[in-house]
Amino acid sequence: MASNVPMFSAVSSSARQLLLLLRCIGFTKKALVRISADGLRFSTEEGSTMESFVFLEKALFTSYNYNPPTPLSSQDDPLGPPTFEINLISLLETLNIFSLSDPNMAKRMIGGHDDFATHRLNRHAGTNAFSDRSMGLIGVCTFNYDGPGTPLSIHMSEAGVATTCDLTTYEADHAEEIPFGRNDLCLKTIMRASSLLDAITELSFMTPASVAIHASPTSSRVNPNLSFSATGALGSATVDFTTTTSSDMPILETFNCATRITANYRFSALKAAQRAMAAATKVSVRMDRQGVLSLQFLIEVDAAGSASGGGGGNGGQALLVAFVDFRYVPLVEGEGEGDMDREGGGTDMGFLSLFLIG
Amino acid sequence: MRFRADIRNVHTFTKLTASLATLGHIAWVRLDNKDVRYTVIPDTGTQVWSVITIDTIFDNYTIQSAAPDNTINLEVPLAVLQRALKSAQNANAASIRLTKKDNIPLLSLTITTDTIRTSQPTATAPSQDQFAGNGTSSNTNHSHPDGPPNDFREESADFFGARQDHETVVTQDVPIRVLAAAAVEGLHEPRCREPDVHIVLPNLVQLKSISDRFTKLALATKSSGSGRSAGGFATQSAAAGPKLELSANMHGCLRLALHTDSMNISSLWTGLENPELDPEQVAEGEDGLANHPSTRMKALGDSTGQHGEEGWATVRVEGRDWGRVLSVGRLGGRVIACFCNQHALILYVFLPAGEEAVGGGESVLTYYISSFAA
Repeated sequence: MASNVPMFSAVSSSARQLLLLLRCIGFTKKALVRISADGLRFSTEEGSTMESFVFLEKALFTSYNYNPPTPLSSQDDPLGPPTFEINLISLLETLNIFSLSDPNMAKRMIGGHDDFATHRLNRHAGTNAFSDRSMGLIGVCTFNYDGPGTPLSIHMSEAGVATTCDLTTYEADHAEEIPFGRNDLCLKTIMRASSLLDAITELSFMTPASVAIHASPTSSRVNPNLSFSATGALGSATVDFTTTTSSDMPILETFNCATRITANYRFSALKAAQRAMAAATKVSVRMDRQGVLSLQFLIEVDAAGSASGGGGGNGGQALLVAFVDFRYVPLVEGEGEGDMDREGGGTDMGFLSLFLIG
Repeated sequence: MRFRADIRNVHTFTKLTASLATLGHIAWVRLDNKDVRYTVIPDTGTQVWSVITIDTIFDNYTIQSAAPDNTINLEVPLAVLQRALKSAQNANAASIRLTKKDNIPLLSLTITTDTIRTSQPTATAPSQDQFAGNGTSSNTNHSHPDGPPNDFREESADFFGARQDHETVVTQDVPIRVLAAAAVEGLHEPRCREPDVHIVLPNLVQLKSISDRFTKLALATKSSGSGRSAGGFATQSAAAGPKLELSANMHGCLRLALHTDSMNISSLWTGLENPELDPEQVAEGEDGLANHPSTRMKALGDSTGQHGEEGWATVRVEGRDWGRVLSVGRLGGRVIACFCNQHALILYVFLPAGEEAVGGGESVLTYYISSFAA
């Protein structure tokens, strides 16, 4: 195929920003990549009971060029957007490499111990990428893809070194998306992502196997609007949220619940979304009648390149946003352990109940 | 057999010892009238043979032995020496001498630290936990009743505390073995054929940081393939570690690459210097130079390094071992790498000359690294 123009090429001014977003879904080895004219979609899934995806729209890139593959003859159907699988860990590590600033290392002649370099690498590998402003320079990197059979190639030049990474692309086995009835919701609420993170963190101290999410249209002490509860070997815990508050900035910014509903999910699956919870400002929590849970995280991405999370960005610069979605299939009766029964009493393992008023 | 010297540059000595210590547990140290040689020959991995001029580290160097040139051969435990040198980090003066205690030969370091103290009692010297393994450490506190401190006091009896200036003397003993001439006779530098490519390496600190990232990448992608086993560093031998491919050509290009199933990544440096060979150093002089492998390699390849595999000499090094070798970058200095394609890599590290270098001698550390098969 003598085409001089690659099918896809894009330039990003910040490898760190991409790394941050992709890390949110980085709980498994492989990721599915779909290139379209509007952006790149990365998706991961685990056991077909949980899936996540992040859409990197073209506005996040400094330049974005997509030339759709043309069918061989005009009678053929237009080819779908190129979809392939890559090793996500390799991609994350490569972006990690590209987001470390080399010129600073070159200056560091004194005290350049192995320990320091390792420490820096380890520091970037953790979830706490935000406090790392001191690391300064962000890498400009170029993506290229030339069709099935060719690798996804990422290139970066810095301080006299040019680094190229060719990621092997594998054929994608098309798994079906988890069906979500977005028009048939039982629960829809938008809340602060940090509160959700706090809730999950609290529950994780109990090392539970599953977590129950309960929603109720009206709020009472026994039945708060939204509650997360879990039972584990170390005890049980419940985190309750309510809309009855006089505060101007309630934790549950919006809350719509048609009927009372409870559903259980594998706790480790929810825990896998922790990075997204930490990176995001807000999260939209939705549950449909089947109990399928959708968490959609809104992550603010600075146009200049670094992402900011936590309690809301300042005004001023126009901020881009990216969305990271998680979808969970509920546990069927008997699958999970330690289901919390709201109506009956608690278990006899002790009871820790936290009430959060927004 | 006597040896005594002042340590002129503690930081250089410390960094040198630290770099050598990463490669092996013990070093063969050879002292004579002309220079100081450190040699580390571990069971597996890179060997280093270094020749350090006396002025680089020592001052007031006196040596005497029965052997010709007053040669003394010692076996020194590097980790112990490294810990002992930690006491000297902020020293005013330090000296080293060969001595014996209880019939155990040792290298004794005497370290004098001038500490300016406020009314706090001296806490540093007695609480310093930098003991050599089998050695001893003795502290003597000096204080000065009147007037300004005098740097080289003898032992004093009283401790007044709460004074402005204190001088602390710490002694660190490093147990060693004295090697007979016969023991070291059989040790020779590895012989290698004439290298195909020689090139000056870029800033070693930068090269090391990139190499370490590649090694980490290889380990991360490998461990994920085997079900995310949590870092098997201790169990992996050198032979099992991730292999980095290092290549260079005679047009100033250096390339570091890693190949795995899921990805290929490579970093390319261009515009590096290829040093000219000195005809006097090459066997057969000018003719030898014309037939030298590197001259032939010059005819191949180009300075962009992008077009094809011609002209490249390649070796495969183990990631972590290579990272340890590169730690010598903290000493500064020029590094020339000589590549024997698919066979071995020899690094010549030229240390910057000391402040008052006498006679223009240069210290060289030579690293011999074997290449792994593909």
